[in-house]
Amino acid sequence: MMDCEQFRRTLLAEPSNEDAELRLHLATCHECTRFALQLRRFEGRLERALRVEVNPRLMEQRVVTPLRAAARRGARAWDPPHRRWLAAAASVLLGTAVAFSLWLAAPGRSLAADVVKHMAEEPNAWARTGIPVPEPLLGKVLIDSHVRLRPSAGLVSYASSCSFRGHTVPHLVVQTDSGPVTVMVLSHEALRSAMRFNEQGYRGVIIPVHGHGSLAVLERGPETNMKTVEGVAARVLGALDWST
Amino acid sequence: MKDPVGGNQRRARFQALCQSLRPDLLRFAFWLARDRALAEDVVQETMIRAWKAQDSLLDEGAAKPWFLTIIRREYARSFERKRFVTVDVEELIAKEEPMLAAADDQELTELRAAIFKLPGEYREPLVMQVLLGYSTAEIAAELGLSNAAVLTRLFRARKQLRVMCGEDTSLDPEE
Repeated sequence: MMDCEQFRRTLLAEPSNEDAELRLHLATCHECTRFALQLRRFEGRLERALRVEVNPRLMEQRVVTPLRAAARRGARAWDPPHRRWLAAAASVLLGTAVAFSLWLAAPGRSLAADVVKHMAEEPNAWARTGIPVPEPLLGKVLIDSHVRLRPSAGLVSYASSCSFRGHTVPHLVVQTDSGPVTVMVLSHEALRSAMRFNEQGYRGVIIPVHGHGSLAVLERGPETNMKTVEGVAARVLGALDWST
Repeated sequence: MKDPVGGNQRRARFQALCQSLRPDLLRFAFWLARDRALAEDVVQETMIRAWKAQDSLLDEGAAKPWFLTIIRREYARSFERKRFVTVDVEELIAKEEPMLAAADDQELTELRAAIFKLPGEYREPLVMQVLLGYSTAEIAAELGLSNAAVLTRLFRARKQLRVMCGEDTSLDPEE
């Protein structure tokens, strides 16, 4: 049978140890229960202490950029040229179609304000990077909205399931040559007509998706513009597969 | 013949892997080196070496220990390249104050400073266990120690930290 000394030594070395002997001792010893509670609080603080803040800009400069350069050198040579032309042509066509359908619609204004408000809560999502989000994570984020995204959407560098107006919605960031563009798949937000918005430094569009709510696409950088936004909106819209 | 699709997918997967692991790798390097600039150098060099050697990573599930081994080697190499002078730990803490400071949480800042003061042989396994989620056996394999030696170091690490942070240690076992 384990004694108090052994119990506390073991727990100080391995606080997450759930050995049956430890549990048995814990169930019968008041002092060791007190010790275990103290240690659990300490462990929580220790874990937070070790998670020092990582500066995303520095990470970009010192870690991501060299990696991206190496990746670009490796990948560009193998990109079939005719596929790039086809993709560009499709993007232009869809982009034009979206641009034609855009006009201001009053009922959507507060929706735009809520989208912008949500952006301010996730500043880290805007990192410029050439590294895609892991596929399983992207799939997991999209599955709740019963949607899949084909690779033709472009490089998705960020994917998160976010709470928005009482629903969990996919929040994605698509990288473009001129910077990151954010996409929110708003399956629960039906919209009668498309709208543009320009609020608090964010410019974007919200377009209705027949039978599947709407899609918000926006940017905030000095290098991106509405043309980029509309291009991404068209590309993503064309790449979404709805399963319901 | 090259396999463009497979090659591109493999590279994309590898990039994603690097992206998901790099914040914790940088944190690990920081606690190892106790020097932000050196940690950044070490991680940058690690990523480039890993990129070049990605074919040797056969199982993505083993990526974390693979990167960790490269980081530890790179850190050791940094000692071969430069001749480090002995620096007072209080000076190190003062130098890295912006990294150690936790907004509105003085206790957390003090705990970080205390971690800086731990001897490297205790600090490293503790960071591997708490930050990276390594088991005792995994730490032992990485550091070339027995399980018992790792457990002793982890025990001492926490015991010293708790004393330095002024925790109630009346129930802590003796050495």
